[in-house]
Amino acid sequence: MKRRLFGLIFLLGIFFGCKEKPAPTPAASAGPGPSGSGAPTADKPKPGKELNLFAWSEYVPQEVIDGFSKETGIKVNYETYASNEEMLSKLLAGGTNYDLIQPSEYVIEALVKQKKLAPIDWSLVPNFKNIDPKLKGLAHDPENKYSVPWMTGTVGIVVNTDKIKDPIKGYKDVFQKKYKGRIVSLNDSREMVAWALEASGLKSNDITPENLAKVKPMLAEWVKLVKVFDSDSPKTAFLNGDVDIGVVWSGEAALLYQNNKKFSYILPEEGAHLFIDSLAIPDSAPNKVGAMMFMDYILRPEVSKLVSEKFPYTNPNLEARKLLTPDQLANPASYPPAGERETFRDIGKIASEVDKLVTDLKASN
Amino acid sequence: MTPTAGLPDTRGAERAPGLRGWLLMAPLLAWLGAFVIAPTLIMLVYSFCDRDELGQVVFTFSWSNYTRVFDPTYLKILLKSVYYAAITTAICLVVGYPVAYWVGRAPERVRNKLLALIMIPFWTSFLIRTYAWMTILKSEGPLNSLLLYLGMISTPLDILYTPTAVVIGLVYSYLPFMILPIYGSVEKLDNALVEAAFDLGAGPVRAFASVIAPLTRPGIVAGVMLVFIPAIGMFAITDLMGGARVPMIGNVIQNQFGQARDWPFGAALGMTVLLLFAATFWLTTKKDPSAT
Amino acid sequence: MARKLSGMRLLNLLLGGWSGLVFLFLYIPIVLLIVYSFNASKMAIVWEGFSFKWYTALGREALDHVSGTKRSPLVESAINSVTIASIVTVFSVILGTAGAWLLYRYKFPALRSITTLVYIPMIIPEIIMGISLLIFFKAMSLTLGFTTVIISHITFCFPFVLIAVQARLAGVDPALEEAAMDLGATPMKALFLVMVPYMMPAIISGGLMAFTLSLDEVIVTYFTRGPTSETLPLRVYGLAKVGLSPILNTISAVFIVVTVALTVAAESVKGLNK
Repeated sequence: MKRRLFGLIFLLGIFFGCKEKPAPTPAASAGPGPSGSGAPTADKPKPGKELNLFAWSEYVPQEVIDGFSKETGIKVNYETYASNEEMLSKLLAGGTNYDLIQPSEYVIEALVKQKKLAPIDWSLVPNFKNIDPKLKGLAHDPENKYSVPWMTGTVGIVVNTDKIKDPIKGYKDVFQKKYKGRIVSLNDSREMVAWALEASGLKSNDITPENLAKVKPMLAEWVKLVKVFDSDSPKTAFLNGDVDIGVVWSGEAALLYQNNKKFSYILPEEGAHLFIDSLAIPDSAPNKVGAMMFMDYILRPEVSKLVSEKFPYTNPNLEARKLLTPDQLANPASYPPAGERETFRDIGKIASEVDKLVTDLKASN
Repeated sequence: MTPTAGLPDTRGAERAPGLRGWLLMAPLLAWLGAFVIAPTLIMLVYSFCDRDELGQVVFTFSWSNYTRVFDPTYLKILLKSVYYAAITTAICLVVGYPVAYWVGRAPERVRNKLLALIMIPFWTSFLIRTYAWMTILKSEGPLNSLLLYLGMISTPLDILYTPTAVVIGLVYSYLPFMILPIYGSVEKLDNALVEAAFDLGAGPVRAFASVIAPLTRPGIVAGVMLVFIPAIGMFAITDLMGGARVPMIGNVIQNQFGQARDWPFGAALGMTVLLLFAATFWLTTKKDPSAT
Repeated sequence: MARKLSGMRLLNLLLGGWSGLVFLFLYIPIVLLIVYSFNASKMAIVWEGFSFKWYTALGREALDHVSGTKRSPLVESAINSVTIASIVTVFSVILGTAGAWLLYRYKFPALRSITTLVYIPMIIPEIIMGISLLIFFKAMSLTLGFTTVIISHITFCFPFVLIAVQARLAGVDPALEEAAMDLGATPMKALFLVMVPYMMPAIISGGLMAFTLSLDEVIVTYFTRGPTSETLPLRVYGLAKVGLSPILNTISAVFIVVTVALTVAAESVKGLNK
């Protein structure tokens, strides 16, 4: 009987001791080695051997990673997430020591407030000059210290023009009684509240208890009309023919447009907002120099172009845009007409009120 | 060699573990202690704390998270989750029992194959499987085409994104977890007992109610637990097949660690669900767990 | 007598018919999934015509990956998933079976508390389990990777084995084991020659459940994985944003067809039954 127990302990020992070996990463990723910003040599700081990239799934094409590794000899471990919130919760709970993360603007602002990001040494990222000047110095990173824009996009309206012939201009045209059961919406309380604020003539970032109370009746009506809430893949409901109109990410709209030109994309007239997915370096990153080299690498026009080919968002890299095909530039969801657009700000604790509001409305449905 | 399932004999069961017993139980207890109790305690501590701007824990002590749990909205959502879980469990039991029985009575050499065949569909990815169901149920999908072709309906049925679709999805996902534990009990049924019941003139219903059901009760209880408990927290199926219009308790908890940025409250919700379960379990099980 | 037996035969026929329908229900989406693996479209849910291209694409990726020419994250994650699920199944079966047997064999005051604890991983929401395990692993300074994923999976998988085996043992006379020992068997022999074969059907059911749960878990895996231990479900989940490609159907279809074929053909399974 005891033999069996020892056997079990022995097995556990083997498994704890050796299981890590077959994985391609040795323990190097765990300990903050001698490299990194801690010990820069006299003239040129040396990067670490590995780079732990924590980014949206598929957002960083394999070619880009392979190209970077080939050129620098730095091995890139690409770990993925599917939403800003997912990333934040793993980062805060203490995942691996990531070198590079890819949050959207309001998350960058929150992380800066909590002093969780490392400032970028721009002398190592000269290609930052390629970025659209309009995207520099925005509210979430006013001094351009912490982030490099990766891709930007908008939230707007998709209409199946085969089914809906009325002109659609804004949120109020989408959420109409006659479209009940034909509407898809992002499953995102912050977004929905922002739309209702914009439709009421308020600013999307003016989230106060009073304003929430003001838009509540409007949202209550909207929630009743929606057939599907989906943030991950709202295009599915369109492609399946289950909905004809909705408010979605521009990337989803661009994919729909690529699939069939009947899906048109409209920026709401009440005010559209812009999101900026960026690269940033966590304070605890062991390989900060490598992270900055990666930033500079992806800012090269020919590399940035590869991302655009895979993801039909708006490329913030003006030099890369020159390399795109006319077809890519003609996609109205990728490159909508220019205009002044708000970005989301960090709203801190009131986020829970926003979530509660939408949960209440859905539950009373 | 097959042991008969007689009435539990308490004589032999009244055994204290002794040193050897505790040693043998050590791996199980250690595992429970390290990977179940310790993390649960972390969350229990969190549930009494306050939060900062990012929703992270600030160590203070207050009951406020627990008073918020009893908000009518959350209670309603919890009831709804339990309701869906109960429906799923009931349908799985009715649909799955005969299958478990049939597999358990099948020739010995094919039983394990049949069991594996019940499970193998679930060795595909959940999302791919669910998208397949969505394709089947959508208004322009094959199910509607078939029904229209057969003349059973004249306009396409709206199934996807309704509670019906949710129940189909839930039953589909949990059915094997009902069938497999019941099979374990059916398989040990003594053929002679069943035949005797029939020989004594009992119809299928009587034979089932008075002989088969009581003897397979442990399997039924296990199946009900393995379906009902995980189904309470399920939300991926309601989101995808129901269009996320009705929040489940799983959604609410998930959101606290995401957009709502309120970890302590999420922990309090989780702990409440846990306590409700533990209390129910404690009150409904007998002291003798071999009867569970 | 003859009439009674035909009653039983009728019942068996009905049961067989019903089971056939249930099997049909279980395999309907699988058939659709396989059909869509021949989809010419780039997006899994839009049908654009018949094509083998995803099979050749998958074949090429797999070959390149195995030969080391070009790393394929898809193939790698699939291999990771199957490896993790297999290890998890072995440990869950050992822990769950031993646990069920011990909880059945011994009686002591804390028994009911321990049984309640076993249910915790089933009732606790996945996100709470994921985050709290992550915090716990960090506190223990364990590096995130295969080990942490496997530990977490075992934690929520072994209760399924334990409960299935417990149900099998319920109502069994504990004297059974004693009788074997009275006949001269050592406790080891009594366990492995009498009890284990008796528990086997439930062990197989439990093992199947554990394997399935581990193979398809997303949330706990997300929190406990390291930078290189990606699993297939995580990958699929992330791909939903870009649009699920039919190559995912292809990899599922290949896996299903192979496992079904192996199961139906396997003669060795018979051995387990004896």
